[in-house]
Amino acid sequence: MSRTAESPRWLDARVRLSRGAIDVDVALSAEPGQVIGVLGPNGGGKTTTVLALAGVLQISEGLIRVGERVWDDGSRPLAPEERAVGLMLADSLLFPHLSALDNVAYGPRSRGVDRRRARDRARAELDRVGLADRARSSPRELSSGQQARVALARALATDPQLLLLDEPLAALDPDTRARTRSDLAGRLAAYDGVTVLVTHDPLDALTLADHLVFVEDGQVTQAGTPAEVLSEPRSAYVGTVVGLNLYAGQGDSHGHVRTADGGLVVTTSPTEGSVWATIPPSAVSLHLHEPEGSPRNAWRVRIASVTMQGQSARVGLVGDLALTAEVTLESVTALGLQVGRDVWAAVKATEVRTYPR
Amino acid sequence: MRYAGRWRSRITLGVPAAAALLLLVVPLVTLLLRAEWARIPSDLATPNVLPALRLSLTTTSSTAVLCLILGTPLAWFLARSEHRTTGWVRALLTVPLVLPPVVGGVALLMAWGRTGLVGQHLTPLGIQIPFTTVAVVLAETFVAMPYYVLAVEGAMRGLDPRLESVARTLGASDMRYLRTVAIPLVLPGIASGLALAWARALGEFGATITFAGNFQGRTQTLPLLVYVELERDPQIAISISIMLLAVSVLVLGVLRGRWLR
Repeated sequence: MSRTAESPRWLDARVRLSRGAIDVDVALSAEPGQVIGVLGPNGGGKTTTVLALAGVLQISEGLIRVGERVWDDGSRPLAPEERAVGLMLADSLLFPHLSALDNVAYGPRSRGVDRRRARDRARAELDRVGLADRARSSPRELSSGQQARVALARALATDPQLLLLDEPLAALDPDTRARTRSDLAGRLAAYDGVTVLVTHDPLDALTLADHLVFVEDGQVTQAGTPAEVLSEPRSAYVGTVVGLNLYAGQGDSHGHVRTADGGLVVTTSPTEGSVWATIPPSAVSLHLHEPEGSPRNAWRVRIASVTMQGQSARVGLVGDLALTAEVTLESVTALGLQVGRDVWAAVKATEVRTYPR
Repeated sequence: MRYAGRWRSRITLGVPAAAALLLLVVPLVTLLLRAEWARIPSDLATPNVLPALRLSLTTTSSTAVLCLILGTPLAWFLARSEHRTTGWVRALLTVPLVLPPVVGGVALLMAWGRTGLVGQHLTPLGIQIPFTTVAVVLAETFVAMPYYVLAVEGAMRGLDPRLESVARTLGASDMRYLRTVAIPLVLPGIASGLALAWARALGEFGATITFAGNFQGRTQTLPLLVYVELERDPQIAISISIMLLAVSVLVLGVLRGRWLR
């Protein structure tokens, strides 16, 4: 975010408003062509942020600037129809009384384009999402995936500078979602404005976004590239999303990290002071007896949960340190890993990463 | 499900139930039995009936148009407003639904009469409302408008508010959204509201006779004529009643078949 001070970003937004029980304060910035993935638990302020960017809600403080134009500065908001914005929500929300073509042509028509040119544009947009042959269909006759693609085409037919996608795939069944996700990725690659993609599916964010912003309780808890976020999560929620065991603690120069819960983690990459420590679940090994030899970390733990994931199992552990281990199905049966069983969890010190908090 | 001793409950509940049904059905059946079907066309073509028929058609159509152009915006505001006062406005709207029509007529006279709140300003301009055809339309609108507004408001509340958000971001002003999305989607509600309001206006008697009087060709609508003819020529009253009954059943059939379930 330090770049903001030097040269203003193309999208520069600081959304501050209160809605319901939460106070939202979210900063977003991006350059043309970028996709910002906004992630976070439900009710955390993601949709509120999107609606403020769209102009459906007004911000009480802050700024929304796109290119040269100020959309809202907390006192004189532009109406949604005055913003160059496209909006797509979880339910595709197509106008049920209009054909696919007229749905897509609705934006250009509303912005003063004559009927024939609006329809030509709509046909071109439908073609780009692979639905040129369904132009005459009514929304009712389209599958949910096709409806989502028409909604995307409709949102893009007005050449928005800012495209807002709020959980665009959430209403789709898993098969359709995977296909529509790749359609979406293909279409977004050819879009030169800024996309804000709200999702709670990490896969959407990692495959579609080149910048991630995590919003929890109305605040940004972490922002960065997917690679940064994957390697250095900075909140419990982000840790869960990227699948790492994450601990806040105090580190010393000898590589000891004392976690907030009183657990002790040893690492070969010491960071002093307030630190985050991560342990990949796949680095955790489970033993029935106290392990001997090299591992510097060994905790007495009890199995709290076992869930299957493909050919491996995720084992939730509580005890000296709460952590998740990922083990093979063979070890589940060979070791008899059942809920309630006491075991030893071991992690090599080289597998523990620390970084300043 | 069958239970022992059901005959007792059948009798204790069945007798009053049958009585209720008979109270409703017997008069209607008697009306049909008393009708001289062959006479109906000629009865309806008499010089007395034709002006009333024409007047009823023009005033109820005017009422329907007033509901449409004035009631639709009101329904729109009611459906969108979350303000505290909205509840009060809606409550006020329902008053004419339960108010004795004759009281409505008195109230209209107080407002529009020669010395009334509004009427006193019209008198100097040479405009007199009571006992004119305009008064008939006002009386019918007074009783019919609430049916229309409540029906259309209900339909508008059923619209997903996110449709408007999407339409607005596509560049539609709220007027364009209303015209191109909201109204097309609530057309069934508008149609059923119109049918209800029109049927209610067609049957209006109490407010009309109080506020507009009973002048042939000017304020004497079909219900008023029925009342007069019952003294003079009951067979004509019956013939008109049969026609009004047929119209009511028709409206009901249209409403049930298409919009009410």
